[in-house]
Amino acid sequence: MKKVITGDHAVAIGAKLCRVEVVPAYPITPQTLIIEHIADFVNDGELDAKFLTMESEHSVMSAAAAASAAGARVFTATSSQGLAFMHEMLYATAPLRLPIVMPDASRTLGGPPGIWCEYNDSMGARDSGWLQLYVEDNQEALDMVIQSFRIAEDKRVLLPVMPCLDGFVLTHTVEPVDVPQQEEIDSFLPPYEPDIILDTARPAMIGTFMPPEYIMEMRRQTAGAVESSKEVIQEINSKFAKKFGRDYGGLIDTYRMDDAEIALITMGTVTSTSREVVDELRQKGEKVGLIKLRFFRPFPSRELKKAVSKLSALGVFDRSISYHGGGQVYNEVRSALFGMTIPVINHLAGLGGRDVTKEQIMKMFELTRKAAKGEKVNEINWHDTRGETV
Amino acid sequence: MAAQTLAEAAVNEGNYAVAFPFFGAERRGAPVLAFTRIDSKKIFSKTQVYNPDCVVVLDDSLLDTIDVVSGLKPEGIAVINSKERPEDIDLGKIINTATVNAISIALEILKAPITNTAILGAFAKATGVVKIESLEESIKRKFGEKLGEKTGERNALAARTAYEKTIIGKSRGIKKLEARKQWLPTYQEMPVGGSLIEGKTDAGLIGPGSFIENKVSGWATYRPLRDREKCVMCLLCWFYCPEGTIHRISNRGDLMTNYDYCKGCGVCANECPVDAIKMVRARV
Repeated sequence: MKKVITGDHAVAIGAKLCRVEVVPAYPITPQTLIIEHIADFVNDGELDAKFLTMESEHSVMSAAAAASAAGARVFTATSSQGLAFMHEMLYATAPLRLPIVMPDASRTLGGPPGIWCEYNDSMGARDSGWLQLYVEDNQEALDMVIQSFRIAEDKRVLLPVMPCLDGFVLTHTVEPVDVPQQEEIDSFLPPYEPDIILDTARPAMIGTFMPPEYIMEMRRQTAGAVESSKEVIQEINSKFAKKFGRDYGGLIDTYRMDDAEIALITMGTVTSTSREVVDELRQKGEKVGLIKLRFFRPFPSRELKKAVSKLSALGVFDRSISYHGGGQVYNEVRSALFGMTIPVINHLAGLGGRDVTKEQIMKMFELTRKAAKGEKVNEINWHDTRGETV
Repeated sequence: MAAQTLAEAAVNEGNYAVAFPFFGAERRGAPVLAFTRIDSKKIFSKTQVYNPDCVVVLDDSLLDTIDVVSGLKPEGIAVINSKERPEDIDLGKIINTATVNAISIALEILKAPITNTAILGAFAKATGVVKIESLEESIKRKFGEKLGEKTGERNALAARTAYEKTIIGKSRGIKKLEARKQWLPTYQEMPVGGSLIEGKTDAGLIGPGSFIENKVSGWATYRPLRDREKCVMCLLCWFYCPEGTIHRISNRGDLMTNYDYCKGCGVCANECPVDAIKMVRARV
């Protein structure tokens, strides 16, 4: 059924369709609508879930961990300062292999305080063991909540997943979304059946103290789970595409890359706008393409290497800065492409929610083109930043 | 909500539409921006709209301070909530303009100065992008869902009434509106840590006290009028005013409201224990 809804609404409907059982929540702009919709569903009897209003985000993640360890399908959502506040508990949930799904409404992490879109909130969680993905429209936001549960609960993975959707640009934007039927989701996503849970009838210990003789193995195991999630993500993408007719490409998606000479790597809604820019440049005869980085964790090094193999230069868009030079995506990409000789340059734009316009994206392609020709260009380019020349 | 309702109506007609607000320090009545894109095929652009085909202005007091048509395409149209006819409105250039007195329609039908549904009716008339019937339907559904069936129907009626009363013509183009100045430092000029002390720039004051330049009287639909005879000088209004616009004149034992900064919220009238404050229409 087609509905004209916000990204937050789409995410909440996704959670409802997944029949989530426990939702500990704390509201924060621009995630608030997700929680409000879930509260409505529970109140109206549309969703049979325990809705817990917690006193802080730290408590949200603590409750989520406990409920998940008790065998429930757990959903929550957060943003920015809220995600930062639950940071300690993020690190607890992944190695304990608790398949919680928590969308992050991407928002700048202060200071300076702000409410608009930036990825410096979720980037801080990149080493927590959570899987992390970025969506470009409301349809993908809904679909990825569903896929996230299936990925998270796969026995080869058992890790929490964080789908990130751009604050306001998606969370508060309405667009048509095809809402799947409950039966379709029920047949796609089986109930969560963990092997070990906290149950007084079958006593278990979860999250206990571990001295040095165990931790290396724990870390190795978690790293292995993140690695094997790559295969699972691709597999579930294919199954989803087959059932619902929407193929997102899995770890990455590519657009008009077949004979592309240069390309941009983008995440989130900038991908969507960039598709139009690519079309416009292609119309002028420029051989440009687009690589959409869907998953940041696991990082699709192999897939990227393959996608860029025929390019003569690559531009990497970042919506956050790592304060040692470039953005986090840029550094991961360069590391992944180590040994390849094409120029790779960084395009920082849209930090703090500044609108990333088509003109800026054109400029990104233009600079990448210069790099391809061997002309001198900056390695790190701050777009639409007063005092900087790009 | 108006932008969303419009998007829904367009989608129900078989089009694709995207609508989004730009969030600032929003509250009902404060100037806000919202955008809607409508196309026959899927829309990928996720940026704000800089060159619209139509600009809808819900508050004509903005015309004095903002060049609302600066980005409007030459063949575009401005739809303005105003009691004036298009030819009596000076937009700084002669351009297609539609006007409707949406605030009167809203006050009459909705009993509240909320113009967003009425103005949608004017939009439908001025552009023909959506049918008025589709709008009525999505207003009834969207507003009805949130605020009850009756409210939904009243809002649909407001849209229909505005649709019928909209006048289409051309604006005048006499006055010269200066682009609004804004302090935009480079990263080198930005004070360390963004910390500001009282300062003056070409674009006006910055730092503590700079909001004195930010007159908000235009936000007010109603303004408080105090009856000196009834007032017992209890000072509750002075205490409760969220903007500190009520001043004590100690030597006269009197109060004065600075209407430049009064947003017309009505808190003072609500708190007055002797009903000495009445809210009256600020503009017609």
